[in-house]
Amino acid sequence: MKNLWKVILLVSVMTILALFALGLENDPRNIPSPLVGRPASPFSVPALDDGPPVTLESYRGRWLLVNFWGSWCISCRSEHRYLMKLARMTADRRDFAMIGVDFKDTRDGGKEFLASLGDPGYRQAFDPDQKIAIDWGVYGAPETYLVDPEGIIRHKQVGPLYEGWFEKIALPIMEKKP
Amino acid sequence: MSIHRLFLIWAIVSCVSFGSMPLGAVETLEEPTEATVRDIAKSLRCAVCQNQSVYESNSDLAKDMLSVIRTKVAAGEQEGAIRDYFFQRYGDYIYLEPTTQGGNGLLWWGPFLALLLGGIALFSALKKWRRETPVGKSPSMDTDTDTKTFQNRLKNEMEQID
Repeated sequence: MKNLWKVILLVSVMTILALFALGLENDPRNIPSPLVGRPASPFSVPALDDGPPVTLESYRGRWLLVNFWGSWCISCRSEHRYLMKLARMTADRRDFAMIGVDFKDTRDGGKEFLASLGDPGYRQAFDPDQKIAIDWGVYGAPETYLVDPEGIIRHKQVGPLYEGWFEKIALPIMEKKP
Repeated sequence: MSIHRLFLIWAIVSCVSFGSMPLGAVETLEEPTEATVRDIAKSLRCAVCQNQSVYESNSDLAKDMLSVIRTKVAAGEQEGAIRDYFFQRYGDYIYLEPTTQGGNGLLWWGPFLALLLGGIALFSALKKWRRETPVGKSPSMDTDTDTKTFQNRLKNEMEQID
């Protein structure tokens, strides 16, 4: 009996310490999205460039990177260079596409952003009252979703994409599920 | 203070207080659905604030979430369905008062369980300690023997020094 209590005490202390140790690794700002593994909310909204509406459905059958941004967002500026590079890099892939969602922005603001920092060439949806952003559980910008060919969200990146992100994060997910 | 100055102060004070009277205030009647909107918005956390409800927050996201709630209430959606809409998208974090379901149950009831286990452990330990004191032998006898031994030892040592 005496030993049993000692074991229980030891196990509880070790468990608490282990939980603390695991918690050290966590980023409190990185809240896991409950949307991963669930179908992405469909949308069809006006494009930033006054072209035909941007429709999520039309990308079915391909992996899709959905990048939420705004001209008001400082980190989006630093991320933009990589997005340009990624668009160039993946231009030949027929199984992969990218779109942007410019949210909580003005049309002029969004257009100016692309004019000054460069247009990566993919379609940009315009979401001034962040209806799509809320529907997609977006907290802030930039946030990026990776949607599989069946329209299921497979990954959410909170914060800017970084050099090598595609190879490190996206490719392994894409190769795991052909 | 001169009469003039007093009059001036009186004039300023009355001007200010007269101007702040709610002469132009008109009572506006709230839309009946607004109460539901408020209830829902007060129970949801503004997703970008640390501890403010959607209803209280001034952030852009909270304002837009409020307008989404308003649209949904106007469309006749149920309160539970609207709360669930945000839960599906933002997870547990969105509720200012977390649910007790699933893994959260452990967090809610765990401390009480730990308290209960601790209580049982303390109780059984106390019982055991009381049992270990031999019956019929009072602690004062112990002290007596101790004192005697001590006195003998002291005496011996004093003799040695002498």
